[in-house]
Parts: sequence; structure tokens; C-alpha cells
Amino acid sequence: MSDWIRRFGGLIGMLAVIGFFAISLPDTFLTARNWLNISQQISMLTVVAATMTVVMVMGDFDLSVGSMASLSGVIAATLFVQDWSIPAALAAALAVGLVGGLFNGLVVSVIGILPFVATLATLTVFSGLAFVVSDGRTIFGRDIPAAFGDFARGGPEIARLGERALVLPNLTLVAVGVVLAVWVVLEQTSYGRRLYAIGGNREAARLAGVPVMTLRLSAFAFTGVGAAIAGLMYASRVASANPTQGDGLMLAAIAAVFLGMTLTRDGQPRVLATLAGVVVLGVLDNGLTQMRVDSYVREVLVGAIILVAVGVSALGRRGVFRRSPSR
Amino acid sequence: MRSLEIDRVSRRFGAVQALNAVSLTLRAGAVHALMGENGAGKSTLIRILAGLDRPDEGRLQLDGAEPAAGAPAAMRAAGLRFIHQELHVAHGLSVAENMHLDHPYPQRAGFVKWRALNRAAAEALARLGLSQIDPRAPISSLGPGDQMLTRIAATLIRADGAAPWLYVMDEPTAALTSEESEQLFTVIGELTRQGAGVLYVSHRMPEVLRLADRVSVLRDGRHVSTRPLAETDEARIIEEMTGERMGDLFPPRHAGQAPGEVVLRVEGLDAGPLRSASFELRAGEVLGLAGVAGSGRGALLRAVLGADTREAGQVTLVGDALTGEPPRAWSNGVAYVPRERRSEGLMLRRAISENIALPHLGPLARARYFLDHRRQRRLATEMGARVRLKAESPAQACEALSGGNQQKVLFARALAGKPKVLLLDEPTRGVDIGARHELYRLIRSLSADGVAVIMASSDLPELIGLSDRIAILRDGRLAEIVAAEGMTEAALLARFYHAAEADGERAA
Repeated sequence: MSDWIRRFGGLIGMLAVIGFFAISLPDTFLTARNWLNISQQISMLTVVAATMTVVMVMGDFDLSVGSMASLSGVIAATLFVQDWSIPAALAAALAVGLVGGLFNGLVVSVIGILPFVATLATLTVFSGLAFVVSDGRTIFGRDIPAAFGDFARGGPEIARLGERALVLPNLTLVAVGVVLAVWVVLEQTSYGRRLYAIGGNREAARLAGVPVMTLRLSAFAFTGVGAAIAGLMYASRVASANPTQGDGLMLAAIAAVFLGMTLTRDGQPRVLATLAGVVVLGVLDNGLTQMRVDSYVREVLVGAIILVAVGVSALGRRGVFRRSPSR
Repeated sequence: MRSLEIDRVSRRFGAVQALNAVSLTLRAGAVHALMGENGAGKSTLIRILAGLDRPDEGRLQLDGAEPAAGAPAAMRAAGLRFIHQELHVAHGLSVAENMHLDHPYPQRAGFVKWRALNRAAAEALARLGLSQIDPRAPISSLGPGDQMLTRIAATLIRADGAAPWLYVMDEPTAALTSEESEQLFTVIGELTRQGAGVLYVSHRMPEVLRLADRVSVLRDGRHVSTRPLAETDEARIIEEMTGERMGDLFPPRHAGQAPGEVVLRVEGLDAGPLRSASFELRAGEVLGLAGVAGSGRGALLRAVLGADTREAGQVTLVGDALTGEPPRAWSNGVAYVPRERRSEGLMLRRAISENIALPHLGPLARARYFLDHRRQRRLATEMGARVRLKAESPAQACEALSGGNQQKVLFARALAGKPKVLLLDEPTRGVDIGARHELYRLIRSLSADGVAVIMASSDLPELIGLSDRIAILRDGRLAEIVAAEGMTEAALLARFYHAAEADGERAA
């Protein structure tokens, strides 16, 4: 029974939330347009959370993703101001993400600072750099090329409802692409299985010939690049960039991975479960906003729901252990 | 005299009858050994004695009265104390504070009386002849042996009135070196001299033969026998534990096998405690590594693997220099079974197949990078059969396996890469006698197939029974290499401390 609650409790809770919104918001919630809208709203969080899963699989995490997202946005925008072409500016911003991620990896795996401390420090560094680069201002308006802002608003048309086209947002496609890539890396390559091995028992993995230091270093590149992609997506969506716009992503991403872990049988981080976690957060946010729940109250509710979900899962796990006979 | 009677106790878990009408009587002042393979019911019995579990049928009788079943506090108040193989100490606290973890600290007006605390600890230590342990020292500065002894001494601190009279020790030497074990045996002698009884649970036959006054054997949840030590012996105990005649524990060497070519050459190797170790290893040879704890047995294996930094010297594997970290060693045909299977060996919560495939993910991959799940499962099944692994399926998590089967998973992992050199660190520690026998046969058959084996062990019969040659380490130096044939335990042990007079076959 407790095993059953642990396995499917999260799923049932999710359906209950959707059911509640569907009844409370009969005209707007369960519509294709709203779900496409949700998919776009959560696309940035999806990218950050998916890549966060890569490091959390090893038992590490990366607190610097939010400020890296802000940094990559302002870097791209600043380069636009200096008349860089769109591809060149995007490539530069992604390169900064890659370098920042590898730097995190270096500090954590080679120097051996705890990820909490190391990425808390780089969080501050990246955030400070974002202010330095942007001079503390929001970069917007004519400085941002129209094509860049149009990307987030566009997307392939999938249906026509009356006069209005139903569009699959480009940002959603990017998020799907990133999730797919992370899924292949984690579930289908030996690289990914070695990361899981490091999470399972780091010393055992090392003695069994897994190059732990190199792998940990490289895995942080995923969070760096993922954060940079998310930062660019955000900048494109609002056609502007300011040095704090990515800040909310980090906690939400970690929460999504933990929510996802409550859904997997072995309690391990898995990228598809993370995606489910992101959807839960996105649906809650969307539904509560439509119900005009005050945004502060919304935060209290979302936090409480995360606590309940992870708490129920932990209790279920303990119950399972209690019943097992001694070895 | 005080006694605890276990009267026809039964306990069932699902389909498994863990205990089936087991009756035993434990008395003060004597050491009663309890033996049995993994799964025989020892752990369940201990849990019932500790009040952590209740019997389905039967009862406990303490000095003729029945204590409340399933109540740890009642068993404690009745004077039972439990010493487990795995030590849980509060790092960062002192010895004396650790000894007071389950006693109230001496206090005055809410303030800890530190002097009284340290004095109580010192008195308890002194009663067991452990005055060399400083109660004010940090607990982490003590080795696992001393930590266990302080745990025993802690039971002598009288705070709750009930003096302990029966100690239940569950594999107490599993994590101890032979010297630390010696100290424990001295303390056990001291405890019984002071009138306490001990229920001693162990896989280690020599310890049991040495310590026990009486020996009880469990098999498949049933009580097979209880005999005074004088009326039984090793062969009989093994027969009663396994239910079959085992023959020799160590399979015979293959007669007339010519020594193979040199596969591993170690020259002037320095690493950690190890100083300028040199030796050669031939295909099909089993080289035992012997010596007291800290002599560098394990360090030698880890340096060959590359897990510890090689500070000087050279390792040559079939003509090529072996440098770098463990990944290089594994891919060149060196395999390693670590000493601590839970902390250094297994990913406990992951599947058997994943644990076996881990070092071989590269060669197993499709198109270089992509997992081939089918090949991985097939490898796990094949290797599992090779080591006679008993498990539900390759997808089962390792934490559910017995110690012996966990060790077999590590052997399967090591064999899966068809190694040329196999490094084994305490390969049968905490493994029951049946599984141990199977591992010995496996090592023999590997050596017959030309695998060169280096086996570090603190188990002297195992070193003598399985090795072709035994390398003896003293203070990090490879002092001598002797032929195992005709060696006795006493002669081998003597060489741990000083060079033998003449009869050793010296080797480079």
C-alpha cells in the first residue's frame, strides 16, 4: 500500500490538480491554446531543469544556473548593441555558458569544493558579471534585432481555429529538443550510465575504472549551456535583457528535479520525471494565475505542494523499509 | 546463575520460515557461539533478542520470567547488550562522549560535569584493561577495533542500574584487523571472567574454536545442534551448517601445471606506506599478500590498479608500462575486487547487471557511445552463472543480496573483462562458508585458465590453502616471498614480525 502511494501518489496528485482547475476554469483551462501557452511558459524552466538533472544524477547540483541565464541574456543583448549578427551573438552567449559550466566542474571535481559552496560562489560571480556587462540596465527596444524577438513569438502552425492560428511555439520546440538530447545522453549512452554510477557510489565507480574526475567536470558543462540557452530563450521572449531576469530559475529547477524523483521507482533523478515535475509547477502557476490568486499566496501554495509531494514520497519509502525483513 | 532461555521460537516472513521452533539456553559466564550460513536465521534471532522483532510462536524466559517481547527497552533493562559489526560513532565527539551516548551525561544545574564524564569513561575502560585509550581523545582518532572496545566498555557505565550480564556480538571482528581482534578476545575473556555471558555470532571458524565454550548451529531456520566445544570440531560444524560433507575447503592445486610467462612485473614501487616493492607474477599463479594491518597489503593492490598514486617505481603489464588511473588498468586487463564491498565496491541501490557492466561499458557500447542493453543483460546473466550468483534476476538491486552474493557480483564484474591479472583484497571477508568455498573454487579455475591472481588477505588458512607463493610485507616493505606449500599458520604469522631463520625461498 505504501509502495503504491509512493509510486503513483504523485501522478494521482497531478491529475487531481488538473481536474480541479478543469472544473474551476471550465472555459479556459482544458483548451489546446492554454496548454500550448503553458508549454511555452515552462520551456525555459524545462531546459534548465533537464540539464540540472544531469548533475543531480551524480549527487551534485548547480546553484549558479539562474545567474548564468541572466548573464547569457545580457551578453547576447550587449553584443547586439555592438552590431554583432544574431548567430555570432548567440554563439558567444552559449560559449560563455559552456565556459562557466566547465569552470563550475573544475572547481567541484578537480579542486574538490562542495557543489553547494562552489556554485553558490559562482552564482555570485556570474550575477556580478551580468551587472558589469549590462551596466545594471535593461537592454531593450531598437537595440534588440526584430528577428531575435520574433523567434519566441513564432512557431509552426498546427491548426486553425476560426481566424486565429494555433501555433506550436518555437520555444517549446527548443525545450523538447533539449529534453530529448538529455534523455539520449543519460539513458542511452555509456557516458550517462557512468554518471548514474558516480551517483550510486563514487568511490566504487572510481575503483571500477570510471574516470570520475573528468566525468564530473564535463557534466557541469550541461548545466552551464542549458542555463545559457534558457537565458537566450527568455531574452527572446521579452525582447530585452536585464541582469536579474533568470534568477527565479534555479530554485524552481531543483524543485522540479526533486518532484520528478518522487515519481521514479528507485527515487533516482530521471529526465522524463523531471519534465513531469516541471509540468506540475507550470500547471499550478498557470491555473492559480487564471484563478487570480495573489502571486504571493501562489508562492506559499506552490512551496507547500512541493513539501507535501516530497514528504509523502519520503514517508512511503520509510514505510517500505520498515516492513522488509532484516538481512 | 542468570540465564536466558529461548523456547521454541518461530518467526516467518512471507513465504520464508526464518526461525522454526528454535530453542537455546544462554548462561552467564560462558561464551556461546552461534553459527550458520547467511539466511540460517541468526539475524532474526538476534533481532528478537534485541526486542526489535517479535516471535510468531514461542517465548523468551529470563531467569524463569518472561520479558515483554518486541520491546527494546525491556531487553536492555534485563541486562542484554548488543555489539554489532557496523560501528556507529558520532564523529567529532570525544571517546567519553561517545561512551555516554545512551547514558545521561553527569550534570549539575544543567551544565555538563566534564571531569565526571571523563572519569566515568576512564573507569569503565580500566575495568576491561583498556587504560591506554584516552577518554578525552576524539573518537575518530581511534581505529575501528578501539572504537568497538569503547562501545563494549560503554556498557559498563552504570547509569540506569541494570548491570549487563549478556552480550550479543554479531560478527564483531568483521571490520577488525587481526591485532584488533586479539584485543577484542582479551576483552571477551575479561567480561566472562567478571561473570558476563556472550552470544558470539561469527563466520570465522578459528575464532569460534578458540573462544566458545559451546557451539550452536542453525540451518534454514532450524536448530541443528548445541554441543560443548570439546565434543565438536571444524569439520563437524561445517557439515552441520551446510548439511553436506564439504571435503576440503580449499580445492587442490592443479598438479603439473607449468608456470606461465611473466604477466606483471613490479619494480621499486613506492605508494603510501609501500616502499620499493618488487616482484614478478606469472600467468596462472596465485600470489598471496600477507602481513599485519598497515603493512601495505591493500596499498600494493591499489597502487598496481592506479587508485593510489605511484610515487616511484614501475609496473609492467605483459611488456608494456602501466601508468595512470584505474580506467587505464581495467582497459588493459587488470581487474580489482576491493576490500570494502559496500563502500568501495557496489552501487547498492542499482541493479546487479549495472554493477557487473560498469567497468565494461566502453567495450559493451554500440557505435562506441550508445548502450546495448541486451548485451549488458546477457553479460550479467553469463557472469552470474559463472560465479554461481543466487539472485532473482539481473535487474535486482544489490542491497537485497546476502554478503556472499554481493561479493560474487564483484567477482562477476572483475571476470567480465577477461582479465589477465586479478587483484583481490580480502576476497572472502564476511562471506559464509558455502559461498566462500565457491569463491575458492572459482579462483582455482581462473588460475588454471592462466589468470594471474594477487590476493591480499588476513585469513591465514586462506593464504596458505590458495596461494602458490606468499609475499610477506613488513612496514611497507616486501620482506620476502615464500612458497605456500608446506607452510603452517604459526610459521607464517611469525614471519609477519621478523625474518625467518633460513628456510624461506627468497625471491627478487
